[in-house]
Amino acid sequence: MNRRRFLRSLLVVLGSTVLVSFVYPLVRFLAPPGGQAQGKKVVIKRSEIPTGSAKDIIVNSIPAIVINTPDKGFIALSKVCTHLGCLVEYEKAKKRLLCPCHAGVYTLEGAVVSGPPPKPLQKFPLKVEGEDIVIG
Amino acid sequence: MFGKVRNWLEIRIGLDELTRTQLTEYLIPKNINIFYTLGFVALAAFISQIITGFFLLIYYVPHSDYAFRSVQDIMNKVPYGWLFRMMHAVGSNLMVAVVILHMLSVFFMGSYKKPREMTWVVGSFMLLTTLTFCLSGYLLPWSQLSYWATTIVTTIPTAFPYVGEFITRMLRGGETVSGTTLNRFFALHVTFLPLLLLSFIAIHLFLIRRIGISSPPFGESSEEKKPWTRYRHESHAGGYPFYPYFVQKEMLMVSAYFVAMFFIISFLPTLFLPEDANTPADPFKTPAHIKPEWYFLALYQMLKIVPNKLLGISMQIVLVTLFILWPFFDTEEEDNILKRPLLRSLFIISILAWITLTIWGRYS
Amino acid sequence: MRRGIPLVIIALMIFFVAPLVSGQGGGGQEESVCLGCHDSDMMKPEFRSIPSEWKKSWHYQNNVSCNDCHGGDPKDAAMAMSPERGFVGKPNYAEVPEFCGKCHIGILKNYLESGHGKALKSTQSGPNCVTCHGSHEIQKADISIINEKRCSQCHTYDRARTVKQALFVTEKEIRNVERGLKELRRSGVFTEEQERTLFSTEAEFRTLFHSVDVSLIKDRTNEFTRKLDQIDSQIRDLSHELLFRKNFAAFLMLLFLGICIVVFSLSKTS
Repeated sequence: MNRRRFLRSLLVVLGSTVLVSFVYPLVRFLAPPGGQAQGKKVVIKRSEIPTGSAKDIIVNSIPAIVINTPDKGFIALSKVCTHLGCLVEYEKAKKRLLCPCHAGVYTLEGAVVSGPPPKPLQKFPLKVEGEDIVIG
Repeated sequence: MFGKVRNWLEIRIGLDELTRTQLTEYLIPKNINIFYTLGFVALAAFISQIITGFFLLIYYVPHSDYAFRSVQDIMNKVPYGWLFRMMHAVGSNLMVAVVILHMLSVFFMGSYKKPREMTWVVGSFMLLTTLTFCLSGYLLPWSQLSYWATTIVTTIPTAFPYVGEFITRMLRGGETVSGTTLNRFFALHVTFLPLLLLSFIAIHLFLIRRIGISSPPFGESSEEKKPWTRYRHESHAGGYPFYPYFVQKEMLMVSAYFVAMFFIISFLPTLFLPEDANTPADPFKTPAHIKPEWYFLALYQMLKIVPNKLLGISMQIVLVTLFILWPFFDTEEEDNILKRPLLRSLFIISILAWITLTIWGRYS
Repeated sequence: MRRGIPLVIIALMIFFVAPLVSGQGGGGQEESVCLGCHDSDMMKPEFRSIPSEWKKSWHYQNNVSCNDCHGGDPKDAAMAMSPERGFVGKPNYAEVPEFCGKCHIGILKNYLESGHGKALKSTQSGPNCVTCHGSHEIQKADISIINEKRCSQCHTYDRARTVKQALFVTEKEIRNVERGLKELRRSGVFTEEQERTLFSTEAEFRTLFHSVDVSLIKDRTNEFTRKLDQIDSQIRDLSHELLFRKNFAAFLMLLFLGICIVVFSLSKTS
């Protein structure tokens, strides 16, 4: 095999390797995310949370809280304060969520009332199915 | 197998004749040098931007609330998203560098002269379009760097009396850079500018093929110097065949381009993505040392040192016009720059000035 | 070829300029009117130093301004110290905790339940916030605030030393994790989620200190260590990912380099 033929076949090999090295990532890039991006759902019983009370849960490794609000039913909110990340606390009597780090105050819907938080609390999709509450 | 396919095509489109006229019997001058491939490298760079840009488009969300997050997701959650994002970001800078080198080469070889003035003019518009691509694309990640660099650059037109404020408001879609700005820059970057640049490329290539590729003014020339009074196609009889001779050179330079790109992605990934590029935009907090990207620094610095804003921007417009219409200012027939000491000095001084202003702009 | 040399030189110069001038490098906020008077010659000397002290503080870095603590109108000089606009002036020594506790709620709660808090409320003396943190030149809290000079003003140092020892391990881990995240940030990874978790863990940890209850601190240490280890393993995963990316890109670079060499050799063959 003369030099020219050798170089040509080497070029073909390198070229195909380059092609495959882009095609493989491209296929992975375009493939739909599959189960893991949807996240796992959390199921709790309605009876666990009487009206006015709340329960701490974890949704996709995010600390969250499910509140049985007196007027608007169940709601699932992230407990991570949008200011710097401390976990907010539920104040049943004052019907609000308070962050102990810098006094950020949120309504029970997660909207910012006062203090440094720049954005409302992240809300999680919540469905009531009979006796079960499904979050996520 | 290949023979059968070739035959099938030959009967329908005359493949053999195409191969002969466009590749094996298309002749290029014997004294052509490697810098003549830079135009093709710029085209390859642009195609790379289009392809990577298209894939980014699949996951990018052009809304100020989600833009930054979507870019982070591309970098960290989508498999190999980082690869396409890095290729696009690094590629945009490399493309500008290649385009600049291509222009310097064309200037140096005197290839803008008669009969190729139109090619130069179209080419300068292509440069401006490329820079507009860079300006519009820079805002899309909606980082601190994006937001504030765009604020600075869109403030420049305010130097014009009367129309300045209007132009700035049109660019921004409002008084300040906002989600509206993002939307219009996105539309520009993704539809209008690509179509514009592709049209310019088509015209540019047509002119090159129709007039014939120029030959360097040094070394042997297989063409006599005849005055241009009638149209003729420069055919370079006795020259080398485009394929394989020039195609080899082009492949070499395109590969070198990608070597540079992946070198930067691998060993200098934060070269064009400093910390401010990784912080979400905050309209209320200006970072300490925001500057435009390197290719705009010289212009930026020039504006800073001229005391009067209107004078500064008028100077720039004059310079840009001079640049676009250069073939009509330099009508000297001699195209060998080594025989024109005045032009040579002008060339070197301009480059040194540009480099100095750029470095000054960076460190001031 | 000789004539191409100037172009090559210019090309190299451009390629070296681009990296030289890439990359960037603080905060801009509107100044409150308070500084206008407090910084001027007319002001009493003990008040004049306040703006410069405040500018060195962690509060300043985080856009916390005069009116956020003292009330008043930061934009209108006439109303800057008006009780109508909420101006509360300087708190009394025993009321300092409630003054700072307007924002630092969790810490106030722990402090009031602690020996220090009870001492202050019952005897009007004892450490308040300013004793350890200063008033205007407040820095980000860290373990060096607990030291012999400060903590032996009222009692022997060994009580403080025990607490410091209980805090030490967690403190060290927090610093390590902080450094790891900073490295990742510099390499271009967006680490907001991890930084939030770190902040919240650190905040809980610091709040807990104010109870100055050694057994409580020791009890909760495991919990903190677990959270920090979690972030640490995320940091390690991200570092691995960065290394993979570097290698993959280097591999692609070598492939293209190979193509360059082969094409070049082909052009020189026959």
